[in-house]
Amino acid sequence: MAQRLSLKIGHSGVRGIVGETLTPQLVTSFAAAFGTYCGAGPILIGTDTRPSGDMLKQAAIAGLLSVGCTPIDTGVAPLPSLMLHVGEAGAFGGISVGGGPGSPAWNALRFISAEGRALRANQAAELTDLYHQGVYPRVGALEMSDLRADASSAARHLAAVTRAVDADRIRSRRFTVALAEGGGGAEGPARRMLEALGCDVVSLDLPVRDAASEEAGTEEASVARLADLVRGSGADAGFAIDGDAVRLAAVDERGTPLGRDASVALVVGRWLERKAGPVVVSVATSRMVDDAAARFGVAVHRSPVGEPNVVAAMQERGAELGGEGDGGVVVLPINACRDSFAAMAVILESAAVSGATLSGLRERLPRYAILRDRLLCPARDIAPSLRLVRNLYRGERIDLIDGVQVRWPDRWLLVRPSTTEPVLRIMAEAPSATEARALVDSVLDLLSPGV
Amino acid sequence: MALRELKIGASGVRGVVGDALTPELIVNFACAFGTWCGGGPAVIARDTRRSSAAFRAAVVSGLLSTGCRVVDLGVGPSPLASFAIRELGASGGIVVTGSHNDARWNALKFFGPDGALLNAAKNEELLDVYHGGAFARAAWDRLRPVEEARGIEDRYLEHLASALDVASIRERRFRLAVDFTNGACGAAASRFLDMLGCTLLPVNAEPTGEFAHPPAPTAANMRQVATLARCFHADAGAALNVDGDRIGFVTAEGAALSEEYSLALAAMARLRRRPGPVVTSLSTSAMVEALARACGQRVIRGPVGESQVVDLGLAEGAVLAGEGSGGVAVLPHGVAYDGLLALGLVLEEMATSGRTLAELAGSLPTLHMRKRELPSPPNLVYRVIERFRRHHAHENPDCTDGVRLAWGDAWLHVRASGTEPLLRIIAEAPDPARAEALVEEAAVFARRAAFGYDGS
Repeated sequence: MAQRLSLKIGHSGVRGIVGETLTPQLVTSFAAAFGTYCGAGPILIGTDTRPSGDMLKQAAIAGLLSVGCTPIDTGVAPLPSLMLHVGEAGAFGGISVGGGPGSPAWNALRFISAEGRALRANQAAELTDLYHQGVYPRVGALEMSDLRADASSAARHLAAVTRAVDADRIRSRRFTVALAEGGGGAEGPARRMLEALGCDVVSLDLPVRDAASEEAGTEEASVARLADLVRGSGADAGFAIDGDAVRLAAVDERGTPLGRDASVALVVGRWLERKAGPVVVSVATSRMVDDAAARFGVAVHRSPVGEPNVVAAMQERGAELGGEGDGGVVVLPINACRDSFAAMAVILESAAVSGATLSGLRERLPRYAILRDRLLCPARDIAPSLRLVRNLYRGERIDLIDGVQVRWPDRWLLVRPSTTEPVLRIMAEAPSATEARALVDSVLDLLSPGV
Repeated sequence: MALRELKIGASGVRGVVGDALTPELIVNFACAFGTWCGGGPAVIARDTRRSSAAFRAAVVSGLLSTGCRVVDLGVGPSPLASFAIRELGASGGIVVTGSHNDARWNALKFFGPDGALLNAAKNEELLDVYHGGAFARAAWDRLRPVEEARGIEDRYLEHLASALDVASIRERRFRLAVDFTNGACGAAASRFLDMLGCTLLPVNAEPTGEFAHPPAPTAANMRQVATLARCFHADAGAALNVDGDRIGFVTAEGAALSEEYSLALAAMARLRRRPGPVVTSLSTSAMVEALARACGQRVIRGPVGESQVVDLGLAEGAVLAGEGSGGVAVLPHGVAYDGLLALGLVLEEMATSGRTLAELAGSLPTLHMRKRELPSPPNLVYRVIERFRRHHAHENPDCTDGVRLAWGDAWLHVRASGTEPLLRIIAEAPDPARAEALVEEAAVFARRAAFGYDGS
């Protein structure tokens, strides 16, 4: 299998193309399996703003009701808002209809545990197993529950975030913030949260979900437009959040994008000032975090890539803070998932308390070059390829947390199989771009010598 | 072998909610219907059952996935959906309702672009699409949000009124006891009766879907409304089915009339205003035949079930079609069984004739009907009918739907239920003992035939 499949059932949920593989039949059955897995109780269900959201949500509602669950329709709700709502409301679980790859032809179901977290790998495997068995204990008409509605997800989320930060200090600075949202419906809630923190908000026009936005690089394009907006409006900061509102990219007051890799480090720098403690990030996260944490003498632990892995390791290590290099930041006391709202609030708090600008905050962190590349690799070639990489760097410090990671004091190299495509992802971070390139090339030369 | 309580056939898909009637099955049928409609718009409505809300979600999802436009009437009676399809020029519609079945059941009723339930040919086409499984799948940019039909109930009620002598009815200021069976037509019915100048004494009006009594408007299920009518000095009373397609009547004195009366009572006003043939089923009382004869009109009988009776009625240019179940369609004004319109016709007859409901009912010949239902799994029921047919081959049986035998003013009909795993035996005669003997004899024969003791 070398081509990208149009249906993916795995630990990040069910993803597929509407009109091809992500059918109402599949969604109804999967929701019935999830309802069976969670037990007959309240299950929150929300969508993003994709046109296919309602069709898939109705299918999921029917599946949930058929096994005795009480679906609670939250309407359009950003993923972190919905996850927080599940945990707060004592629901038995949650389903988020939305997200997946940027193209609007795709959609996805993400499953949320009763704790308001993404399902761990073993939970996801159990759910998939139930789905494959295909036998769901249906309830009769007399035991069937009612569909309910509760649109409080975003308001709860806003309250939780503003409660957790020093809102008065942030308000006293009266920041002007430029906001770019990825078209998933989080623009309103994000704006309300920033306004609750006393910010003036200027926002980019919402990108319309059309064929053009299927092109890769949309997020980079929107960050570039955001940078223009920051310069044009004289904003103190620019924040770009993705369609799921889980990832954050910041732009400083000069209009310089700080890069997604910096988001976790910026939050770490502030949160540890309040309370020192261990930090967990995925193996694909910048060393900036290590440098930020070093000031406080706390440990930085690494986990496999993926939010459920990061959150599970955080709980294991007793960490309040975690994240990934994609701009996803987890502030556990606020929310047990990547949460761009929490990240924005903590970064603003950092600026408010220190009196620094965003560029000033960024200056406190060292600069590295991060390089990402990929190599086509069918499933059967993964293990041999990784073995070759280990051999190449025999004698160096090697971590096998996720794929193969080779670490030196100021740089690292990571080779890991993608969970969504038949490719190996190759990533390196080093003080200079040339050094990072050399590390990536060493792998490319090794695994595709003819090229 | 444990058979699932599921029936896919001429009257749509029907079953016991749970392992038999699953949301996956409903999604598949909605996809088949959406494919059949070719993009819609499709009108949907549902009754008040909780499971109807669940299956409504499955229907919406399935229809949308095929690229259909969906117009949602919310909780509403089946005849309203039929009207909306015609009014909006829709490609068809689905009503999620278990109708007269008990609360454990639910069903989908499929309506075509003419607003009538799918006839045999269209239903077969739909089943072919369902069985073929190759459903239309719309890409994301062809999915449209669910629409509402604003003001459709107003237009429906005006349309009903246009078939009636409203002024005469209003003049009488009737007091009416009505049992809504906790169903979907409470709101529409209240407004309709208000238009007709009636004072409403409601019972079981809460649209909870939790039925105070079994939902079919039979005499046995109308005790509450009968008592209400008598104690509160109503001019008459009625019970509407959960989705408003059937109606039964009670007199001012508190006598519950068999639902067999509904068609004949409605025919009184209808045939006076608009003479023409009446279509009914093989299983319906001969009362309507006596009435039509008095008006110089003929009655045509056909197979049992709304889709077949209405289809035959439209083909024959009938002005009224209906059955002993209490379902009455006023053709061609409407093309679906409509309890409210039947109620309006009966009120009109009371108003213009000046007679009470008891007097109107008393003017019909006294016929006695007896019914038996034998639980019969599908694998046995057709064998029984075939043996019965052979046994009575020399008596010129009508085999359009099961077997019907007639001897002057007495008749016997044996058929498989279209909606449940039952063998239905019905007989009618002026003499109750004769009717009883006919059904008893047939029941004994059927039991023997089912278990192979008939020696043939």
